[in-house]
Amino acid sequence: MSSSLDFADVPSSASSDRSDGNDDLCYDFGSIDIDADSGETSADYTSPPSPARIASPRLATLKGQKRERTLSLSKSSTGGGIKSETVLRTRHRTIYTAGRPPWYDAQGQSFEPFVIGICGGSASGKTTVSRKIIEALDVPWVTLISMDSFYKVLNEEEHKLAFQNMYDFDHPDAFDFQLLIETLQKLKESKRVEVPVYNFVTHGREKRTKTMYGANVIICEGILLFTNSKLLEMMDMKVFIDTDSDIRLARRLKRDIMERGRDLEGVIMQYNRFVKPSFDYYIAPSVIHADLIVPRGGENQVAINLIVQHVHTQLQLRGVKLRSKLVKSHVDQPLPQTLKVLPSTPQIIGMHTFIRNRDTSRDEFIFYSKRLIRLLIEYALSLFSFKDVTIETPQNIVYQGKRIESRKICGVSILRAGETMEQALCDVLKDVRLGKILIQTNMETDEPELYYLRLPKDIKDYRIMLMDATVGTGAAAMMAIRVLLDHDVPEENILLCSLLMAESGVHSIAYAFPKVKIVTTAVDVEINEKFYIIPGIGNFGDRYFGTELE
Amino acid sequence: MTKVNFDKSAIISKQCKTFDFGHNFKLLPTNDLIKELQTVIRDKNTYRSDFVFNADRLIRLIVEEGLNQLPYEPHQVITPTDEVYYGLKFIKGNCGVSIVRSGEAMEQGLRDCCRSIRIGKILVQSDEDTHEARVLYAKFPVDISERRVLLMYPIMSTGNTVVKAVKVLKDHGVKEHNIILLNLFCTPSAATLVTKAFPSMIVLTSEVHPVAPNHFGQKYFGTD
Repeated sequence: MSSSLDFADVPSSASSDRSDGNDDLCYDFGSIDIDADSGETSADYTSPPSPARIASPRLATLKGQKRERTLSLSKSSTGGGIKSETVLRTRHRTIYTAGRPPWYDAQGQSFEPFVIGICGGSASGKTTVSRKIIEALDVPWVTLISMDSFYKVLNEEEHKLAFQNMYDFDHPDAFDFQLLIETLQKLKESKRVEVPVYNFVTHGREKRTKTMYGANVIICEGILLFTNSKLLEMMDMKVFIDTDSDIRLARRLKRDIMERGRDLEGVIMQYNRFVKPSFDYYIAPSVIHADLIVPRGGENQVAINLIVQHVHTQLQLRGVKLRSKLVKSHVDQPLPQTLKVLPSTPQIIGMHTFIRNRDTSRDEFIFYSKRLIRLLIEYALSLFSFKDVTIETPQNIVYQGKRIESRKICGVSILRAGETMEQALCDVLKDVRLGKILIQTNMETDEPELYYLRLPKDIKDYRIMLMDATVGTGAAAMMAIRVLLDHDVPEENILLCSLLMAESGVHSIAYAFPKVKIVTTAVDVEINEKFYIIPGIGNFGDRYFGTELE
Repeated sequence: MTKVNFDKSAIISKQCKTFDFGHNFKLLPTNDLIKELQTVIRDKNTYRSDFVFNADRLIRLIVEEGLNQLPYEPHQVITPTDEVYYGLKFIKGNCGVSIVRSGEAMEQGLRDCCRSIRIGKILVQSDEDTHEARVLYAKFPVDISERRVLLMYPIMSTGNTVVKAVKVLKDHGVKEHNIILLNLFCTPSAATLVTKAFPSMIVLTSEVHPVAPNHFGQKYFGTD
């Protein structure tokens, strides 16, 4: 089903998106499918997660499972079918809305994202404004969270009322504010959150949740956002969309009747009974908390530009730029204690000579890389802790030997180049577990981005051999380490294993994660402006897999 | 040799200090991991598949270390980033010779490191009555006298077989200083015998221990 989605450059498994490609923006942000065993997340997906879904007849036919909307959904305004892709293309650049941002600073510490709250009446254009802000912001990572995900689970009686348009979805009591606050707090701390997927048929939460990560910018939108004092405290910028009531009613009528096939009477009844009172009692007075009031919603380009300017200034203050900073931060420092370099032998230098030579054929490149990797892995394994054992031999003598302390070792490769090291690990450790992390460097920002993650469920109980072929600035490795720490792996149980490292990368990692062991076959001194290691081996993955440009 | 993570409490290092077999006798730089491999190989409760798996790992490490004994020369290359890397290049003219049968267990390890290396074989059997080693079969590359030879034999208990094999190599014109013996386990007496008989030959082993794991060949090939 997900084949209907147009993932640009993003592996489809990186995202557990809707299959109908027409959902509310919010659900498709920061969605990394992280469950250890959920390879089929979207396959059995039948009900829409968001009230803002437009039941487009074309798509319904396409899927053969058109679902009637049965209830009043007053609160959300879909600013005209925002595609639920993981990538938004704007005129100038691509904004990734899936995947995880580099949420740490040059010291490997996470920095706090900028939270924008967008509040306004039903159909005021909150989503349109959010989308326009995202486009204009020009930062690679944005998470959008909607209050719609946080409706309370209805009991049977309430469910019946909802079916008759008699349930008040516009009252503060309809929302689970506590959960929203907890979720937003975690996002602010750059922690992973499970956002509930609300099912508007059953009025319950689906078993499946949507995984989100913190981002550079978090946009939170909802009709009653400014009615909760705790939420207000968490927002860095509060925007109120002030659209004329007539226009909002007109939009609702148009949307509910034309797009959702509801009758005029029902819509108006619901509007008068719930939507309008709620606006008058709760939403309109909450404007007092706003930093900025945007009349006319999404059409107001001046207001959006102002917002964007402010956010940019704030982000710069928080130091969003990353890699260039990492390169320069450590000069002339002694190499850290946690670094272990494979003792240099003539064979190792000889193998380096082969793989560093730009004229080496791929056949030889692969052969000598594999040999070198094997030695590296054996060496790295010797750094784990061992215990003394006494065994008996067939010669009937007692032998004082050693065995590794814990056989629970998990290899985690940083795709793509790290995968080249998996074979060697399997060759020395029978039935070793392997996790994978896909981190790609964004060509425009030169920042690493996380797209894909598959780790054993109980990864925290394992010693981790984190593998990447080369470490330049260390940004990707640091991101991978952060991910592991997020999964409760103790820092001292992580061993980063790499064929070749640049000195600055070693410093950055050691500085940010002093307990992580770092193992490599050689440390080169410099990094060039493209973040390639000097003298280096070029792009290891391209040379190994044969995907060089020329 | 470079000493890595040297485990001072291990028996090996004690033995290394106790015995002196000359400067051409080299012990694989040991660490906890190599000790584990040796432990698995020696343990009588090890399953055969684990035995072979771990023996192959130890063999690979010995072969890699053995290759370090070969001569090389400086060699500069240009990296893909247009920088110069000052590396080195090994000089051609090497070959392997395995002593049948247990030495053949090490052939794959050598192949894995040197894909197209020539490999000769010697079959030495000891006489049931006199315990004297006799050469039954020998097949070498024709120009073996010009080559450096990596002689492979994993277990040295008395050292007689190796002495006989080296004699055959010398009969074929191989120079003693061009022979590198790759060995996994050796007894002090075998080490003494071999180093005394051929002081110019390089001997590389992973462990010197009074009792050699003589079940190696049988367990490796599954004929026990």
